[in-house]
Amino acid sequence: MNEWTNTGREPDPLPSFLPGPTAPGLGEPQAEVEETLKRIQSHKGVIGTMVVNAEGIPIRTTLDNSTTVQYAGLLHHLTMKAKSTVRDIDPQNDLTFLRIRSKKHEIMVAPDKEYLLIVIQNPCE
Amino acid sequence: MATRAQPGPLSQAGSAGVAAVATVGVASGPGPGRPGPLQDETLGVASVPSQWRAVQGIRGETKSCQTASIATANASAQARNHVDAQVQTEAPVPVSVQPPSQYDIPRLAAFLRRVEAVVIRELNKNWQSHAFDGFEVNWTEQQQMVSCLYTLGYPPAQAQGLHVTSISWNSTGSVVACAYGRLDHGDWSTLKSFVCAWNLDRRDLRPQQPSAVVEVPSAVLCLAFHPTQPSHVAGGLYSGEVLVWDLSRLEDPLLWRTGLTDDTHTDPVSQVVWLPEPGHSHRFQVLSVATDGKVLLWQGIGAGQLQLTEGFALVMQQLPRSTKLKKHPHGETEVGATAVAFSSFDPRLFILGTEGGFPLKCSLAAGEAALTRMPSSVPLRAPAQFTFSPHGGPIYSVSCSPFHRNLFLSAGTDGHVHLYSMLQAPPLTSLQLSLKYLFAVRWSPVRPLVFAAASGKGDVQLFDLQKSSQKPTVLIKQTQDESPVYCLEFNSQQTQLLAAGDAQGTVKVWQLSTEFTEQGPREAEDLDCLAAEVAT
Repeated sequence: MNEWTNTGREPDPLPSFLPGPTAPGLGEPQAEVEETLKRIQSHKGVIGTMVVNAEGIPIRTTLDNSTTVQYAGLLHHLTMKAKSTVRDIDPQNDLTFLRIRSKKHEIMVAPDKEYLLIVIQNPCE
Repeated sequence: MATRAQPGPLSQAGSAGVAAVATVGVASGPGPGRPGPLQDETLGVASVPSQWRAVQGIRGETKSCQTASIATANASAQARNHVDAQVQTEAPVPVSVQPPSQYDIPRLAAFLRRVEAVVIRELNKNWQSHAFDGFEVNWTEQQQMVSCLYTLGYPPAQAQGLHVTSISWNSTGSVVACAYGRLDHGDWSTLKSFVCAWNLDRRDLRPQQPSAVVEVPSAVLCLAFHPTQPSHVAGGLYSGEVLVWDLSRLEDPLLWRTGLTDDTHTDPVSQVVWLPEPGHSHRFQVLSVATDGKVLLWQGIGAGQLQLTEGFALVMQQLPRSTKLKKHPHGETEVGATAVAFSSFDPRLFILGTEGGFPLKCSLAAGEAALTRMPSSVPLRAPAQFTFSPHGGPIYSVSCSPFHRNLFLSAGTDGHVHLYSMLQAPPLTSLQLSLKYLFAVRWSPVRPLVFAAASGKGDVQLFDLQKSSQKPTVLIKQTQDESPVYCLEFNSQQTQLLAAGDAQGTVKVWQLSTEFTEQGPREAEDLDCLAAEVAT
């Protein structure tokens, strides 16, 4: 007996909020960088996205030059300070994420050894 | 014969003492005859003190001497070396974003792969979070009322009955300068007037004594501080000249002047504005606007002379017909310009307020030549691109919103303030503020929905479009006898200060309450909604 009936339909597409099932490691790095940044930038409420290197120099950005340079310099210092604060309290601990909430929007910093990813979002209120 | 011995004062054993012998005997000498009558006499005693040392005793005296104590004192001396050094800040050089070829793309890709999931999760959480709803932090002390901080005036100017015609704050926000003149003279006058500046950050500020006073041969009608140099100020005179002073030089403050040439305005200058030069962003030019219809751009060259670089002329015939104007053009009638405001989003775009009551949208990049016979060393162009619906009387002040690229306000003699959008000719709203003239209107530099207007009834009205669009939120009475307030300016560095000058020659610096100095969370969006009410 054949329990499996072929209905002739395509399988249902995956729900759209999951990240796409493409295999990132195989894609070209340049295109992958662009795609990832575009995904983050197009998220709800995001005003700007930028990537800053370990010296505080911005590498990729969606905002204008002067604003980017200002954010990069200031947030780089703040992230280093936050990281050293966490390490001083407990040397086994380390900073994983930094969020600053202000009256107008929220700034999120994802720190790493070589780069910083900064995302500015306008939360719905 | 008698001997008498006189004992000495210290009779010592064995001493013989004093022997005093006194014997007097008359020796009888043989003589003839019988001896004469011999008599014994006793005569006084003659004594001779002994010279013997022991008898004399030891007479001693004690004397002592001592040197006085030596007074000592310590003092130090040192030769001082001093070195002169000078410090100057320079305009900052803008840093640019690194070009993509200089970093490692695969490592960047790996990093983004690592952090993307975390960031997306946080973004989602934030979008749905209600954690901060209604949570407000107060960093500064809340000021509930509007209060008058300073009342400044210059008594010689007030004695002459001069009005404060224009006010300006300098680039650091600590100096306020005012120009004296008269706004109600219809004809030529040779009135001497003043430009006074007070430094509000000085501890010894005296309200009746300005820190800098410049005497000017003619009435000054408008004033503007340089955007980056804290002491340079430009002023437009009743005679049509434009002068630039340096207030830090006390003996000769005049830096540049236009002189009275063919190029200068033939009518009183209504407003001067500093503009960045197109190529060099840290050098500035002066733009002057006058009721003779000319808009002129001046550049300071060498020997204190302001030279005309570009010029525009407004001619009635060349105005765009986007709105029906009451007057029909006859010949080359000039349109007098009374106010100018530059857009903060597009540096070439400006709004002119005219004597005819209609604002004009103009551009510095306009190319069409003006049909005017006014002499000029530089070809004059027609700048107007769009005409808006008129007020009921001449416009005295225009102001472009620093938060929205399309909105501007205009105020005139009909007592109304019109809020225009640059996309349409009729105004978005029209508010009647006063039954008398309105002399100045300014947007607040921090709150997108707040503006202030100075009226002929002697009060300054602050409007908050978020609270009420019909009546002012705060009404500040500046003068007691209802003499008009002619000018007002917000301080963009110290945002709680507002300066207003009136017809009695006083400048009052008002401190605004906190609700006027801090932006609320959704004001920019509300302003966008207001601007979007463009009638289709």
